[in-house]
Amino acid sequence: MTTQLTHAAAPVKTSGRGSGRARGGQAADVGRPGFAWAVPATIFFVLFAILPLLAVAVLSFMSWGGIGDPEWVGLDNWSRVFDDPVMIKSIWLTLLLTVLGVVLQTPLSILIGVWAAGTQRNRAVISAVYFVPLLLSSTAVSVLWRALLDPNFGIPSEATWLFGDGNLFGEQSTAIGVLAFVSTWQFTPLHSLIYQGAARAIPQVLYQAAQIDGAGRVRQFFHITLPQLRNSIITSMILMVVGGLTTFETVLILTQGGPGTDTTISAYYMYQKAFKSFDFGAGAVIALLLVVAATIISLIVVRLSGYDKMRSTMEGVS
Amino acid sequence: MRTRTRFSRMLVGGVTLGMALSLSACGGDSGSGSSDGKIHVLVYGDATNKVEKAVVAEFNKTSEVKVVLDTIPGATYQQKLQTIINTPQAPDVFYNWGAGSIQPFVKAGLLMPLDDFIKDDPKLKSAFLPSVFNAAEVDGKAYGIPMRGTQPVLLFSNDKVLKDAGTTAPKTWDDLLDSVKKLKKSGVTPIALGGGDQWPTLMWFEYLYDRIAGPDLLKKAVAGDKDAWASEDSKKALNKLKELVDTGAFGTNYDSVKYTDGGSPALIARGKAGFELMGSWYYSQQQTDAKEFAEKDLGYHPFPTIDGGKGDPNDVVGNTNNYYSVMKKTKHPEAVAKFLKLMYSDKFIKRQLAIGNLPTTTNTEKFLDTASNPDYAHYQFDLVKKAPSFQLSWDQAYPQSASEQMHQAVQQFFNGSMDVDGFIKAMQALPTA
Repeated sequence: MTTQLTHAAAPVKTSGRGSGRARGGQAADVGRPGFAWAVPATIFFVLFAILPLLAVAVLSFMSWGGIGDPEWVGLDNWSRVFDDPVMIKSIWLTLLLTVLGVVLQTPLSILIGVWAAGTQRNRAVISAVYFVPLLLSSTAVSVLWRALLDPNFGIPSEATWLFGDGNLFGEQSTAIGVLAFVSTWQFTPLHSLIYQGAARAIPQVLYQAAQIDGAGRVRQFFHITLPQLRNSIITSMILMVVGGLTTFETVLILTQGGPGTDTTISAYYMYQKAFKSFDFGAGAVIALLLVVAATIISLIVVRLSGYDKMRSTMEGVS
Repeated sequence: MRTRTRFSRMLVGGVTLGMALSLSACGGDSGSGSSDGKIHVLVYGDATNKVEKAVVAEFNKTSEVKVVLDTIPGATYQQKLQTIINTPQAPDVFYNWGAGSIQPFVKAGLLMPLDDFIKDDPKLKSAFLPSVFNAAEVDGKAYGIPMRGTQPVLLFSNDKVLKDAGTTAPKTWDDLLDSVKKLKKSGVTPIALGGGDQWPTLMWFEYLYDRIAGPDLLKKAVAGDKDAWASEDSKKALNKLKELVDTGAFGTNYDSVKYTDGGSPALIARGKAGFELMGSWYYSQQQTDAKEFAEKDLGYHPFPTIDGGKGDPNDVVGNTNNYYSVMKKTKHPEAVAKFLKLMYSDKFIKRQLAIGNLPTTTNTEKFLDTASNPDYAHYQFDLVKKAPSFQLSWDQAYPQSASEQMHQAVQQFFNGSMDVDGFIKAMQALPTA
């Protein structure tokens, strides 16, 4: 008893350098930095996120074409955007692409990530190659796939049995399919990387115990690996959802929202309204809707998963 | 205590940084038009800038007031221009497409009517082809001086493919339908189209409307007459176009093909298609991408005539030219006027011709033989000179805010997801200045 107590108190006394910690004075503060650490980030966040966001909020009540002074129009932009069939369509398309992204990428990245967490040398080499798409910018990726999927000179011209006339960007279903595929190709490596790190952090003792109990590989995966990856799954899903809501470059380069408005997702529609039609008021409304939607969805994911309790799986710290 | 000092130090640091950022944003921009003894000329940044650089260097040799040339890469030119035009960073003189592209600026009272310049030097107007000069007039006043070159839309062809299919360049609409049939039979796509970019598709509408309804329909429509789109002529043009699309003239995958990534020009150059309708820049594009083909088999023709149409068969559509417009707030109007005079100088014309552009001064003809390709330069010049009407591309004639909806409607009508009435409604819904 006595030894344990002194042991717990000791770090507080000896490491009195950080006065914040001394003031907190609780063992739970061990290893947790004070607010000062977050100041630079907070300042940047206020300057480059909060202030512009407020400006956009004000702009959403104004009519502005990029020249002249903005004119106050009240709720006009809002009612216009909500009456706009293209806007409603764009919300559905955005949700569809986001869901497709999560559904396609999550299982793939868990499998690849867990596989790549092994220690054999060939895995390291193959995973390194596999992570290459992550290094390319979205723009480069989109240009690349646009060229590869050209109906006359790309893959479709060689594989007509699969692609028919190759009119992938000319029809809604195939255009969405291509967008989902390209995002998956591009972002699965990132999520695999998250899962790889998390899988490596799972204590080996768990597997050793399972082996002793006679559990096979599949059972080990479902009963140890997956539950242990829970927090990573949530992190990765939030990234996917927010990424899905703000998908932009792929649409800009691959389909330009077309054919017609068939792949005009909200983020692209915002750009189109503000910077192509010079209707900054409507653009601001869509931007705010996206911010709200992304925040709500992230909160729901966090709540449902119990992630907000911030439970740590680190041993000894709770 | 220490936390607090650290905190305040960081805060001070942060605020200083923030101020430094905003200060540099104010003072660092070289595009400021108000700086003394200088005028800023803003142009679309591309290969043609070498002529503009030479002109500016020449001007600066003799002028007290120096010209500074600012360039913005093409893809973002219009967006950037719109953002800075009403700020202190606005240029004194800027590049544009005339008509609808400058209309909002005229309305906002930002541009200087050039009547006084022209009164002092009538050649600023009389030295240019009238059809071209007039395209930069807004409400009867001149707001732009032509620069660079004219870009009529022509029907290009791969003559070897035509020959193999047993056909020639079409003179009439029926000839075109006949060629399409023969080309289809010989197993190629009759007409290449970069439908993924949308604007190449628009060119087909522009010519059919011009041939069938004449150039007045668009003029009325742009002026705000919604009935123009619902007229009999309009429906006739749309039905004719539909007929062509339905014969399979463009194949089935044109919406997945782009002009801008070299897709549709490659179809022509590699003998997989017979025709392509495109602006006159197509020629130099093919010369860069497929030199051998461009020299041997690339043909260029006027758009076919259509029986019973109201438009003159000699009419052309396209981009009449680019223009320099002048900001009202410029502090050195005399220097600007002097600079604009260079746009009809012999040296300027020769320089433009040497890089394949076709300037639109009345005396350009004299210099055509010095062009990079004299035959093509002569052909284009005659075409533009003879044309009773040179209709500006619809997306440039309408205000910028209309172009997105217009492009979508054009694409949807072409691929069948919108019918005649839907298209008419979409065009009627476009903002007209």
